[in-house]
Amino acid sequence: MRKVAVVGIGQTVHGRRKDVSFPDLIYEAVEKALDDTKLTIEEVDAVVSGSMPAPMEGTNAPHLWWADALGARSKPLMRIATCGTTGMSIAHSAYYHVASGLFDVVLAVGAEKMYENDPQAVMATIAEPFFQRKFITGAPVIFSFQCNEYTHRYKLPEERVRQATAMLSVRNHTDALDNPYAHIKIKITLEDVLKSRIIAYPIRFLDVCPISDGACAVIYASEDKAKKITDNPAWIKGVGYAGDEYWMGDSDKVQWASAIIAARRAYKMAGIENPLKQFDVAEVYNPFTYQELIYYECFGFCEKGEACKLVEDGTVMRDGELPCAPSGGVLCTNPIGATALIRVAEAALQTMGKAGKHQIPDVETAFASGMGGLNQLNGVMILGKTP
Amino acid sequence: MFKKFKGGHMRKVAIVGVAQTNHGENLQQTVRELIYDVTVETLAKTNLAKDDVDTVVASTSDYWQGMGCSNVFHYDAAAGYLKDSTKAEEDGALGFMYAYMRVLSGHFDTALAVSAIKSSEISSISTLTNLYCDPFYQRPIGLGDISSAAIQARLYMHRCGITEEQAAKVSVKSLGNAFYNPYAHRRARITIDDVLKSRVVAHPLKELDCCPASDGACAVLIASEDKAKKITDNPAWIKGVGWSVESYFLGDRDLLDVEALRVAAGKAYGTAGIKDPSRQIDVAEICAPYSFQELLWYEHLGLCGVGEGGKLVDEGVTEMSGALPVNPSGGMLSTNPYTARGLVCIAEAALQLMGKAGEHQVSNVKTTLAHSMHGLAGQLHSVIILSSD
Amino acid sequence: MSEEVVGVVSETISLPYTWTAGPVGVRFLKALKDKKIMGTVCPRCRRVLVPARRFCPRCFVDTTEWVKVSDKGTLKSFTLINYSFTGQPKNPPYLIGMIQLDKADTCFFHFLGGIDLSNIEKACKEVKIGMRVQALWKEKREGKITDIEHFEPITER
Repeated sequence: MRKVAVVGIGQTVHGRRKDVSFPDLIYEAVEKALDDTKLTIEEVDAVVSGSMPAPMEGTNAPHLWWADALGARSKPLMRIATCGTTGMSIAHSAYYHVASGLFDVVLAVGAEKMYENDPQAVMATIAEPFFQRKFITGAPVIFSFQCNEYTHRYKLPEERVRQATAMLSVRNHTDALDNPYAHIKIKITLEDVLKSRIIAYPIRFLDVCPISDGACAVIYASEDKAKKITDNPAWIKGVGYAGDEYWMGDSDKVQWASAIIAARRAYKMAGIENPLKQFDVAEVYNPFTYQELIYYECFGFCEKGEACKLVEDGTVMRDGELPCAPSGGVLCTNPIGATALIRVAEAALQTMGKAGKHQIPDVETAFASGMGGLNQLNGVMILGKTP
Repeated sequence: MFKKFKGGHMRKVAIVGVAQTNHGENLQQTVRELIYDVTVETLAKTNLAKDDVDTVVASTSDYWQGMGCSNVFHYDAAAGYLKDSTKAEEDGALGFMYAYMRVLSGHFDTALAVSAIKSSEISSISTLTNLYCDPFYQRPIGLGDISSAAIQARLYMHRCGITEEQAAKVSVKSLGNAFYNPYAHRRARITIDDVLKSRVVAHPLKELDCCPASDGACAVLIASEDKAKKITDNPAWIKGVGWSVESYFLGDRDLLDVEALRVAAGKAYGTAGIKDPSRQIDVAEICAPYSFQELLWYEHLGLCGVGEGGKLVDEGVTEMSGALPVNPSGGMLSTNPYTARGLVCIAEAALQLMGKAGEHQVSNVKTTLAHSMHGLAGQLHSVIILSSD
Repeated sequence: MSEEVVGVVSETISLPYTWTAGPVGVRFLKALKDKKIMGTVCPRCRRVLVPARRFCPRCFVDTTEWVKVSDKGTLKSFTLINYSFTGQPKNPPYLIGMIQLDKADTCFFHFLGGIDLSNIEKACKEVKIGMRVQALWKEKREGKITDIEHFEPITER
């Protein structure tokens, strides 16, 4: 099977980008990726793009609007859109474009301009209109159910979970200060988190991601091309994805099948048996602090019910055994269509040694994940220094 | 027989089974149930179980469905529970391309491409297609699917002398062919005069020059060589594919010089060894939601010379009885389930090869062409060449 | 009077939709008019799926039987909404519950009511996972999921 690597990355500064139109934002990221690789747009064989539901920015089939900004004119172009996992699905699609043998150099771009409308109103339409839409209204609702269930399931003292999640919030906000592209850059304390306004109980304001405008471009290449383009490609070692059924009340979202299986698939491909030991950094998709605890367990970083310990022990802090989201994570930067692709980009930057101030030393293998839908979809990509 | 590429051999992949709904209006099932129907039917036809489908690529659309993240709604309806299933939005042909790449990669041996749409759930199709336009320059002008096709048609008449009568012949052929297609939405025995006399919708397009807005679903199952040979005696082998896109702003494009289609066809023909399309292709299922577009796509597919689309239809070449039947299924003028239509074209092209096109079966079919497009005046085109060996 | 900024376009897009719930959905919703909550049974895994479904998402086979489930159930999770957005069904704060009705194997979602929300921190502590709840039906029912006003906590002996 064909070996594929990430060879270059471009990110916009994420935040509130009133200064640019949607295509402008994309062009910014694409230019940066081309600059990073010293490739010309002619050398790109195909383009994969995506974002959240087109109604979020109010233009249908936005890949058509972006065609020129993507440099995709007269090239193969597709739009991949799988809710919050969009960025990961774009990453996977670019991988398969190259792995198929049809293309050698593929540009993957995810983007979002969330300030252009009311994102919760759009996300409320993910639930069908007959039974669920009135109740499952937007992202915080979806995840708050899961969070409450988690605490109850393992009979954990609410206080303990509350403390651990507050520590995660402080960790992410602190780490974001060292990421030039991150959106939210504020210094916060544990007290700030615990006192912040309830959004959807138990989630408080500082437990939850922002809405962001931003774009991320990642260039994938076949083995031959990758070795010519850069001295240290980030090789794709494992890919995995899975989805639960549509109905949110059907499956357990604490021992979360789609998350467990997506990871298992990627681990099998990459030969990962002990994630805690074998990963040097993990860009876990973490829009909600409580959900990150659930992910540690589903991804096998610890046993069931033990996630709080990973936080309390410092294991998942920046100087711990398995730093999680040293970029500041989704909690500080969330242009949704790009977000999961940013996880891949950040993981690649880590193995390539290009993560600047938030570089973790000696990264051999990096983990990236994405999540979406009514707690329905999960995707994983593992990158490594060696092919 | 493998195709070589740098460092490896390309797998042979084939379409092994297809299913469509009876396309129409106000289908009573939800999009989720329509996807379930075509998936179940495809599995039944190929004698496979749901776990024999390794991966699924869906191609529905949020705006068309009125639901954010449309594919989550029907994820498990496409036998996708706990599978690796994804979505290539807007055009079933792109879903097919992605499914093909997944199997080519060797990571999957079977893949299901699926799509469904219920146009009847949208009260104002033109309001929706107006939303393809950017909010600044094209949307306030009220441009949409029909108006952009009309502008293209007018230019075609002006520059190449194509007449409304020639375009009308496409409508007559399409709606007439549909009588032999049990899945078709619209069927009618009409004359050129009927088309010319129908109400002007956006000059020069009259009502009978335009596609309907259909409800429908389609599924296409592909498999790698070993699996394909076990599943069916007559797989439809994928010989070449290509897809490409034009610039966005209508004014940036030469609407009659559709580079995207030439590039897409060029790629597909190149891999498939098609040097003389009008001779080597036996049947073509072309996506032409507006009569004039069929003639224009003939030219870009190399079925005739530039400006000669009208001539081809005058000579009857693309009739059922002609040398190169185009749209024996009735095409998009008969059946137009927007996001699913690309898969319908592919399915019909496969049925012809597999000898399963029933009453609209063309004889001696060895190589077929399937085409799809979406976007204003055809901004993004896909071309697939299938053959029986 | 504020001046419009050049290059900034504001628009509210209204796109009318008319969706059908499909034959199974229609039957389920009609039953709500009679204060009946119906589920369908998967012949393979035997789970009772609520709301009623045409096929089992896991086994991928048509469901065969219709059964009535209770309008009483257990709260499996909940949240209190404290944010606003366009087109929201209620003004915050309000509660939503994830409820497993007696006899059903899946959960479904609805409003929780009958709880004092004047102090939301306090209210969140009062709602407990595992609580028993029961549907409060509207007087006038139309065959919509909102024929149930909300689910209220109940005490059972």
